[in-house]
Amino acid sequence: MIQQTQGSRLDIRGVNKFFGDFCALKEINLTIEPGELVCFLGPSGCGKTTLLRIIAGLEQQTAGLLHQGVTDISRKPPKDRDFGIVFQSYALFPNMTVADNVAYGLRSIGMPKPQVASRVSELLAVVGLEDHARKYPAQLSGGQQQRVALARALAPSPGLLLLDEPLSALDAKVRHHLRSEIRSLQKQLGVTTIMVTHDQEEALAMADRVVVMNNGVIEQVGTPLEIYQQPASAFVASFIGAMNFFDSAPVNGQRVRVGNRELDLVRPLPSDQSCVQLAIRPEDVHLLPNGDGEWEGQVESMDYLGAFIRTRVRLSEVELELVVDVDPRSARQLELQVGACVCLNLPSDALHCFAA
Amino acid sequence: MIDSPALSTPSSHNRRPLSAFGQRFAGRWVFALLLVAGCAVLGLLVLAPLYTLLSKSVENKDGEFVGLDNFAHYLSSGGIESAFFNSLWVAGLSTVIVVFLAFMAAWAITRTRLPFTGWIRGVLVLPILAPSLLPAISLVYLFGNQGVLKSWLFGAEIYGPIGIILGSCFWTFPHALMILLTAMDNADGRHYEAATALKASPWRTFWTVTVPGARYGLVSAAFVVFTLVITDFGVPKVIGGQFDVLATDIYKQVIGQQKFEMGAVISVLLLLPAMLAFVADRYVQRKQSASFTARSVPYKPSHDRRRDAVGALMLTPTLVFIFAIIGMAIYASFVTFWPYNLSLSLNNYDFGRMDGGGWGAYLNSLQMALGTMLIGTALVFFNAWLVERTPQPRLLTGVFQLLSLLPLAVPGLVLGLSYIFFFNHPDNPINFIYGTLFILILSSVTHFYAVSHLTAVTALKQLDKEFEAVGESLKASRWRVLFTVTLPLCLPAILDVALYLFVNAMTTVSAVVFLYGHDSQLASVAVLNMDEAGDIAPAAAMAILITVTCAGAKLLQGVLRFWVDRSTRAWRQGTE
Repeated sequence: MIQQTQGSRLDIRGVNKFFGDFCALKEINLTIEPGELVCFLGPSGCGKTTLLRIIAGLEQQTAGLLHQGVTDISRKPPKDRDFGIVFQSYALFPNMTVADNVAYGLRSIGMPKPQVASRVSELLAVVGLEDHARKYPAQLSGGQQQRVALARALAPSPGLLLLDEPLSALDAKVRHHLRSEIRSLQKQLGVTTIMVTHDQEEALAMADRVVVMNNGVIEQVGTPLEIYQQPASAFVASFIGAMNFFDSAPVNGQRVRVGNRELDLVRPLPSDQSCVQLAIRPEDVHLLPNGDGEWEGQVESMDYLGAFIRTRVRLSEVELELVVDVDPRSARQLELQVGACVCLNLPSDALHCFAA
Repeated sequence: MIDSPALSTPSSHNRRPLSAFGQRFAGRWVFALLLVAGCAVLGLLVLAPLYTLLSKSVENKDGEFVGLDNFAHYLSSGGIESAFFNSLWVAGLSTVIVVFLAFMAAWAITRTRLPFTGWIRGVLVLPILAPSLLPAISLVYLFGNQGVLKSWLFGAEIYGPIGIILGSCFWTFPHALMILLTAMDNADGRHYEAATALKASPWRTFWTVTVPGARYGLVSAAFVVFTLVITDFGVPKVIGGQFDVLATDIYKQVIGQQKFEMGAVISVLLLLPAMLAFVADRYVQRKQSASFTARSVPYKPSHDRRRDAVGALMLTPTLVFIFAIIGMAIYASFVTFWPYNLSLSLNNYDFGRMDGGGWGAYLNSLQMALGTMLIGTALVFFNAWLVERTPQPRLLTGVFQLLSLLPLAVPGLVLGLSYIFFFNHPDNPINFIYGTLFILILSSVTHFYAVSHLTAVTALKQLDKEFEAVGESLKASRWRVLFTVTLPLCLPAILDVALYLFVNAMTTVSAVVFLYGHDSQLASVAVLNMDEAGDIAPAAAMAILITVTCAGAKLLQGVLRFWVDRSTRAWRQGTE
């Protein structure tokens, strides 16, 4: 087992970043616990990479404080901070062997030669590249290069590991494999890790907590389950997974009107608004045989996507088209086909409600 | 290594934001200060002399401000009609011919499957190794009063525009060819496949795919050739006869009549078209975006005998012309006494018997070229590295980019003249370098700075932009990353820049012709002086000697590059 110092705690307080007049980050407050893997997730341009670069000291925040453990790192240059980083491009030094790449950071802190050698072979063993120590990066596959970059970042035992879209340059199969590998390595080492990604599946699969960002602000922080099941905003709801949205008018505290019907909600309405957005995930809509449900509709199209069938159903009494995911077995039982009439229920515990 | 103790000690005791701030930026200040120093050096080498030149052009002999009197005087003397317009049309016509020939050659090389294209490329760029005086001398032997092919001109004189245009075409051809080859080498095969799939004829494909793909190269080549011809002094000096152009006019005013202020006036007039071409070229380059992306498939010409034949036909005149010029110069340099005693001997290489500095001048040239190479390469790369790979205030990099490209717009003669004004001024504290080899080195470094800078910047831009960030996360300073990663990766580009500087310093006449002193005569200037004294054969011999030296340097550089490529093949594998 490879030794690793305890991962550090990171405190981000009131961080703002302006590029000229453009506000890239607005009042970011976030605490990352020791040993945690946190994903910054959001569309491109949401500020997630800027935040990562501020944590690394590669960008300077316009305002705000950063603490790593008890140390104030707000104004420290990158070389005085304690982190390892893996870039999207890996930025491996092409003129050095795999072993020299991994040893680079150990040599800069003046570690004696024998220790460098043993630490390098230890790390290469961890990432499964013992046999490739004398090769050059260009002679390795993309996935192998990624692991070298990881080993190089981890070699000096940093308290914090930063990953900037580390998997996006790889093809799907290697990506899935490396995902679980990175996760188990991170758990084993206990290093606090921040990963930036635009891939929601990656974030949900790997993270202890996900930070969803949009337009320079944090929309929601939570476990993957919380993010998916209780999205805090319409943006989060639409960005993570698929979601049906439709407008409705509030009737009172916990009732809304859709078409001619009134629906009960589990949670109270956001505030007094004249119009709210209701949302429901495609897999939460219950399809029932014709005549058995509350709403009637007609199947418009069916896309077979392997594990489920993405079905579009047009409701007859309101101008509304819903996307419904049905597993193939239920679809057979319902004799689902394009043009068929079906009924459906919208379970109130699956209904989300957002300010319009 | 960058934080000074004065800054880091107090900040470890208290955490006042200011001292932490100081620590954070201590590293950056060092780099910014270094770039400020770089700007200052370039300012001293380019801006200050140019300013002195401009102010000279509005002063009389005694240094009193006279406004535009000098210009008025030059205009009324008729110089503007003759020299200025002569320069324009000669340069314009040469540009059209060279770009046309170079485009045909580049097409033949990149779009056909002719054999030996490596050798053909080698021959086509040979003129770059020769001083611009060589084609002029050669043309005198071919078409001059005692020329072997005089009858081919049907009574027309080679001494004049015809000679200038032919000579200019010879030595500017490689410049245009290299730009066009770069533009046409990276053709996207998909475009050609699409044209074929859409049933376009070869002729239509040529006009709709090949030409548009090369358009920026064509424009750029045209600007470069125009500037080179209009600012060249060697060819018109040797073969121009009574035909005045701006470049020879400056020389006559300064060397012949010692009218420095008139030299300054003509320099300003020469600066105008050169600056205009420079600005226009920059503007066009800015619009150019990379059409060859990672997704492109390199174009591979298909087998087509007829197209190969057309290609060979297009290359033949240029190849014959180049061989004829170089061959004639070599032959003439060995002929004992043209045209009376055609037996071959080494008499003309006995430079000790002639004026012009003899072998001493050649050794001076070698020293000067080596000095330019070493100082220039180091300066160019260090500055380019500061601009590209260290954190810099945007304003500072903007200023530096401007300063580093400015020499491209300054003709050699103008630079040389402005160096006289600036460095020979009695109040200049470093005027002791005037007349030494060192000022020749400085002027050459400056003269050829821009192209070297662009080469270095291109090489540095190709490196992963996160190398320094990774280095810092691994506690390595930018300096360590520079020496362990950046420099090894840029070695091929460094060799290219070194060769470029050596060859140009060896062959240049224009900037140095005003600056050499009694103890710092140069080979290229010796060619000029011997030609002027009527020793044309020794002039040819010296020109050939310079060419052979440059070819030797090129060969050495080729060997070094081969060695570098071989020893780094392992880590380049897969990337090339």
